[in-house]
Amino acid sequence: MTIDPGTPLGAVLALLPEVILTGWALVVLLLVAWRHKSAGDSRLVGNISLIGFALALAATGWMASQGVAAEGLPQMIALDGFRFASDALLLTIAAGVTILSLRWLERQGILAPEYYVLIMLATVGMMLLAGAVDLITLFLGLEVMSISVYVLAGYDRTRRASAEAALKYFLIGAFASGFLLYGIALIYGATGQFNMTLIGAQLAATEPTLMARAGVALMLIGFAFKVAAVPFHAWAPDVYEGAPTPVTAFMASGVKAAAFLALARLLAEAFPGYVELWRPVLFGLAVATMLIGNLVALAQQSMKRMLAYSAIGHAGYLFLALWAHSDAGTAAVLVYLLAYSVTTVAAFGILASIERAGARTVLISDLEGLYAVRPFAALGMTICMLSLLGFPGTFGFISKWYLLSAPLGVGEVWLPIIAMVASGISIGYYLPVILAMTLKPTRTRQAHQTIRFPRPAKFAVALCVIAILVLGIWPRPVLDFASHEAVRLRQVATPILTR
Amino acid sequence: MQAFLASIGYEHWILHVLLALPMAALPLVLLLPVRFARWIALTVALTEMILGLGLWWAFDASNPALQFVTDVPWLEQFGIGYRVGVDGLSVMMVLLSVVMMPLVVWGSWKGIDTKQRGFYALLLALKTGMLGVFLALDMFLFYMFWELLLIPMYFTIGIWGSSNRLYAATKFVIYTFVGSLLMLVAILWMVKIVGDATGTYSFAYTHLLANSQALAPYGSWLFVAFALAFAVKVPIFPFHTWLPDAHTEAPTAGSVDLAVILLKMGTYGFLRFAIPFFPAFALSDAVGLTMATLAVVGIIYAALVAMVQPDLKRLVAYSSVSHLGFVILGIWGSTVESVQGAIMVMISHGISTGALFFIIGMLYERRHTRKIADYGGLARVAPLMATAFVITAFSSIGLPGLNGFVGEFLVLIGSFGRYPILVVCATTAVVFSAAYLLWATQRVFFNRFTNPKNEGIGDLSGREIAVLAPLIAAMIWIGLYPGPILRRTEASARQYVEMVESYLPPAEPIIANRTGGQP
Repeated sequence: MTIDPGTPLGAVLALLPEVILTGWALVVLLLVAWRHKSAGDSRLVGNISLIGFALALAATGWMASQGVAAEGLPQMIALDGFRFASDALLLTIAAGVTILSLRWLERQGILAPEYYVLIMLATVGMMLLAGAVDLITLFLGLEVMSISVYVLAGYDRTRRASAEAALKYFLIGAFASGFLLYGIALIYGATGQFNMTLIGAQLAATEPTLMARAGVALMLIGFAFKVAAVPFHAWAPDVYEGAPTPVTAFMASGVKAAAFLALARLLAEAFPGYVELWRPVLFGLAVATMLIGNLVALAQQSMKRMLAYSAIGHAGYLFLALWAHSDAGTAAVLVYLLAYSVTTVAAFGILASIERAGARTVLISDLEGLYAVRPFAALGMTICMLSLLGFPGTFGFISKWYLLSAPLGVGEVWLPIIAMVASGISIGYYLPVILAMTLKPTRTRQAHQTIRFPRPAKFAVALCVIAILVLGIWPRPVLDFASHEAVRLRQVATPILTR
Repeated sequence: MQAFLASIGYEHWILHVLLALPMAALPLVLLLPVRFARWIALTVALTEMILGLGLWWAFDASNPALQFVTDVPWLEQFGIGYRVGVDGLSVMMVLLSVVMMPLVVWGSWKGIDTKQRGFYALLLALKTGMLGVFLALDMFLFYMFWELLLIPMYFTIGIWGSSNRLYAATKFVIYTFVGSLLMLVAILWMVKIVGDATGTYSFAYTHLLANSQALAPYGSWLFVAFALAFAVKVPIFPFHTWLPDAHTEAPTAGSVDLAVILLKMGTYGFLRFAIPFFPAFALSDAVGLTMATLAVVGIIYAALVAMVQPDLKRLVAYSSVSHLGFVILGIWGSTVESVQGAIMVMISHGISTGALFFIIGMLYERRHTRKIADYGGLARVAPLMATAFVITAFSSIGLPGLNGFVGEFLVLIGSFGRYPILVVCATTAVVFSAAYLLWATQRVFFNRFTNPKNEGIGDLSGREIAVLAPLIAAMIWIGLYPGPILRRTEASARQYVEMVESYLPPAEPIIANRTGGQP
């Protein structure tokens, strides 16, 4: 089905999931206006917001099944399999995070249901960011996402760490946005275009200019800040540790996923002509991010900090897929992000159940003997750690294999080797978690008695863990979808440009 | 027998059943009440053994090719399939695994008294992983099984091991995991190179092997990546340091499985993958000499270190390093005799070291110590155990007439043509191994009975006899009449040697010299 986004109806159709989610967020906001006192209110709002995600997901599915496409060149927002896949991924992450938050917020004494509205709005921003084919849309999406997440990071108002996290994230984020905006301006100056495809055609047709090069570089820096790539990563551990745990899960999976999806599209559609320029940059970022992220993670005591550095390391792996600049690479971005997000949401979900209101952050040593008291939580966490490690039998392994194949497919062997070395380092901090949970005895008789695993969160985590295992053995549907349906980036816009 | 097996379509289902049965029984072990756990494990193990023994007859010894091959698409878009099969090399390993399985379960019958469900579940998972490694003919599948094994082994050591178990388990996993990481890159790269050359991107072993000349330009790097994984697993000196810890701290079942199967996976990997894929590099003078030298250094060094171990289990662990050195030497000897000898050492090391670990486990269950100094004169109170230990020790030393001799002898004469000096050095290890094992036997079972705590040790029970008797019978049988085993491995060994021969620098065939000679 082809639509013309120029007409009002076409525009609504093109933005259907975003429109539905925004509308639902506004309705929920109205509801919050008079239901914001009790724990019941908070739960109600959370459940209603889940319906919004379901509706938006259904709309995405409908668009994908109808094969909605734009007449001519897509303007502002992409209409292709990659965007639908991105939307589905981001909506699933957001729904998962919402489920994790359902009782957690009340237990932590955070009674402000606007939280769920912010998650919905952040998701709208992510979807716009990941689906943008226009630099203005891209920036709009980025800001909607970022501003919502700044607030979410500081949502636990009574805790200093949370406020600190919000402020740090805001300052660094604003800085990054500045870079990005400056980059966009320079690109516009060099090409006179905002549309990625047109920029791509223009840049490919002309000699590289300093202005365009500077624009590409600044945009890359902006994104590197957003995905916490070394050396732009210093904010991440503090922010991840300070933010409320479900929000950390949201940042580690959703924000990172959206930024990577957008970067994948940007590099494939707008800057293919400058591949010689950005490939070495990505190479350096990948190597530094993989090695430093994983090395520093070795030294962490706190689970959240450890997972933060692990998230940095995984961002490094993802650069491999972008570096490849091939269909296999684009598919690998999707598959890897799915595997990583599912695992991250499950791991943080289990971590959230262990936390207590007002207590200090959970250390790895606090998990000692978890298996004896809460076998399923320990088992779930073990599977998550193995999946993050990329151990065979888990989806993490399949996605890592798929990811490594991308640069190998274009003849690059050093990046996969370094990635495997980094992965070898990472066993040094994933294994101690497993060791502490399963092999060490509990410290005290009372240990782990305070764990409260609300039913919705339990359900979501169990689903994620089962998905990790099932997709670890039978990943074909996902791989087929990613490599067939979702990778049609890099269209050539030359016929349109020559008018 | 063959007619019967053919009539039930044995060759079509046996490998899948062997792989699937332990996994299918795993939920039963976990869900049923704990008292059933070991019975289920034993039933599964016995079934696997009975079914698996059919391979002995169904396997066509004259056919060097892969047999019972199955190829089911799994991720066919990427050339990955469920591909399994056996040849003369792997069939012996599979037989060894299935025969050991009930013994391992039975050997742990009394020793494991906590968390039995978990233990037997892990034992079953371990079994699937081991068989999978030997049966897989798809590099992707092979890598999955290869890595998956670590998890059951990690928990087996970590939960049921002795005092220093956490350190040992962690060391084991980190060594082997890190060692095999680069193998994954190497596998993917191989598929890409061969795919570029032939147009077919496939992880199938036979496809890669048939087109291995395309890999020749990158042979050195790829071989190093593979060899690292296998060398850690074997373990070849100097990658062996995880082994004494893991062996010593593991419960009896873990030690036996490690010794009998896991170590053989490394040498099997060399024979099956690392050398056939990259023969030009693997068999070049420099690499061959390096590997053979490392093997011989390992043989002698480990034997010397074993001599001074105060801990009985550690002593046997070092003896493993020493024995596995013979396998590596035999593999690089690259004659039919030496390769067959290497396979033979793999089998007989499994039998005799397995038996040694069983006996040490029985001692440990009684006295909760592995210190040699705590024992002495046990032959008086446990004569049967002493007899079993002495026979096993002789077999491990390589006394003619027992199994250990056959393999080591074949390795030594087979490799002499290529590495005469090294073989002479390796021969001295036979003396050292006699020294450490006989000395240990003397201090544990003979000498004066000094420690009154040993009074109540008691002799072997019926169950323990049932565990050891088949092993001792196998030692004597293989020692006196190794023909049936050698016959089954010969065709594959010959094919392997013919395949690699053209890459070998011409060796001086000593026997030919003597007979043909110069006029």
